[in-house]
Amino acid sequence: MPVQLLLGLIVVLVVFAVVRAYAPERTLLAGVVLGLGALALLAVDSRALLSLEFWVGLIGFAAILSALLVVIHPNPMVSILFLIVNLFCIALFYLILQAQFLAALQIIIYAGAIMVLFLFVVMLLNLKTEVGLHVAGGPQRWGALLLGAAFTALLFHAIRGRLDQAYVESGMFDSSFGAARGVGGLLFSKYLFAFEAASLLLIAAMIGAVVMAKRKVR
Amino acid sequence: MDPNVARVLVESAVKIALFFFVVLTAVAYMTLVERRVSAWIQDRQGPNRVGPFGLLQPLADGIKFLFKEEITPPHVYRPVYLLAPLLIFVPALVTFSVIPIGPPVELFGRTVRPQIADVDNGVLIILALSAMGVYGVALAGWSSNSKYSLMGGLRSSAQLISYELAMGLSIVGVLMAAGSLRLNDIVERQAEHGWNILWQFPGFLIFLTAAFAETNRLPFDLPEAETELVAGYHTEYSGMRFSMFYMAEYVNMITASALAATLYCGGYHVPGLRLLGLPPLASALAQVLAFCLKVGFFLFVYVWVRWTLPRFRYDQLMNLGWKVLLPAALLHVVWVSFVVLMGWS
Amino acid sequence: MMRVEFFLFIAALLFAIGCVGVLIRRNAIVILMCIELMLNAVNLTFVAFAHENQSMTGQVFVFFVMTVAAAEAAVGLAIVIALFRRRLTTDVEDASLMRW
Repeated sequence: MPVQLLLGLIVVLVVFAVVRAYAPERTLLAGVVLGLGALALLAVDSRALLSLEFWVGLIGFAAILSALLVVIHPNPMVSILFLIVNLFCIALFYLILQAQFLAALQIIIYAGAIMVLFLFVVMLLNLKTEVGLHVAGGPQRWGALLLGAAFTALLFHAIRGRLDQAYVESGMFDSSFGAARGVGGLLFSKYLFAFEAASLLLIAAMIGAVVMAKRKVR
Repeated sequence: MDPNVARVLVESAVKIALFFFVVLTAVAYMTLVERRVSAWIQDRQGPNRVGPFGLLQPLADGIKFLFKEEITPPHVYRPVYLLAPLLIFVPALVTFSVIPIGPPVELFGRTVRPQIADVDNGVLIILALSAMGVYGVALAGWSSNSKYSLMGGLRSSAQLISYELAMGLSIVGVLMAAGSLRLNDIVERQAEHGWNILWQFPGFLIFLTAAFAETNRLPFDLPEAETELVAGYHTEYSGMRFSMFYMAEYVNMITASALAATLYCGGYHVPGLRLLGLPPLASALAQVLAFCLKVGFFLFVYVWVRWTLPRFRYDQLMNLGWKVLLPAALLHVVWVSFVVLMGWS
Repeated sequence: MMRVEFFLFIAALLFAIGCVGVLIRRNAIVILMCIELMLNAVNLTFVAFAHENQSMTGQVFVFFVMTVAAAEAAVGLAIVIALFRRRLTTDVEDASLMRW
């Protein structure tokens, strides 16, 4: 069953992380034992590897874990690397959701250009691991966590309200859905004004960024 | 397991193993080819003692690298330091998975395409992977925690992203002509209407220049020149890890040559092969051989330019990328769109 | 086929994590990264709904969201660099001249 396999692999990962955190000298032993355990789990239930639920669950787990590490890790460079992992997971989701063009665009634009920009800024400013308080102190911290929990609960409640609707069957899909041709067709006909406005926005942002980051000539 | 799924998996596994083996052997022999051709250009003999015509030299070099001491300096940020060579090596190899080596052929009662992944947006995958290659360089420079590496990494990654734009725009010309992002469609269109290099020659030159810059080869190899910044982003690497950077550079060269052959020189197409009336298997093999010859020619051009031109200074390099190649590529896109609209191609 | 609600749950969780990140972290660059996380969660929602309703409009909107995210990241980082030159820190608690 895909859910059991996924939970089993997550348990293996958590045990490995705990061992590495609290008993680093046993890392190799733990790695070997847990690796064999993971392989045994996969061998017992290899049918689940072919089910979509397993892969969506695995990629979802990776996305959420990397997002948590972006927020928690004190070193900004490592945060960037985990955000890149997250962007990759989301690109994989796009592939599953029949948005091939967007998946490639996500890698090219987000992971390949925007994150490189972040990387450059961190390298230029030479930001190191933050010692001391890298999160806001006291009441702001607990308030933010409470707000996050409440917001998540609200969103989950809103999504659960939809669960009684029927979902789409696999035979209904057009094979050219999500290709570049579809997006391009809409962009140049129905959304042409937005497209041109977006290009103006990019020019404005480019000029603004160059002016802001330039050294002032004294 | 479903027999169809099993068949696809086995076919893909065989293709991947074959491509991997062939590309890595080609990388090993590129080192020898580089040394022999540079020697020929400089009117001297290259390595010709190890084996007949020096053909076992790459083997000797490989063994030497295995025995070199691998020093990991204590001041590096270890997880990223160990990851960076992989981040350069893997995208270069994966790009090869969308390039078609030959025409579809009937083997074991089934149509087999000599291409690992026949995706509908192959060109976008190539652009995406070349964008990922920037990370290896930048992270290698940053994780080494030394000022030479950081500066070398910054300069090299700035060079890479600058020339990515010109390369992408020159590819747009090819895409407009073919009307599809699929590499097989691009090759088939060139088979019918003539190779793209004939009527998109400026785009080809822009692509070739950008490819030279993307692979960090002379005349654009300032970030890794020995006289500048010690050795740039791979200063702190030694032994097997340094050889990963070295091999990654050659894999990038082979990939760029294969791209130039596919996008501009007709890929596996041989003009006039149909007139010979060969049996399909022999014709397919001839086309695969033609592809390999085209890639070999571009690799020779790479080595030839390296030992002919002097190196660009960094500001000259950035100037060329932003102020010369980018406007030229934009004009080229306008020109190609005009030609396609008029129906002249 | 996958139920679309699963993707909505994941997107909601990512959005909430991004929100908490913006409120909790003190490094300006990490705050910008959490904003990118939120934008990605929204993109995932759009693509999930586009898949469910078989309408390409959702994907076109994602295209525009990516464009705006790129522009906003560039300008935001330029502002962070300009601030850094003055104060030599990226801590947002230090940019407090106009606070009450």
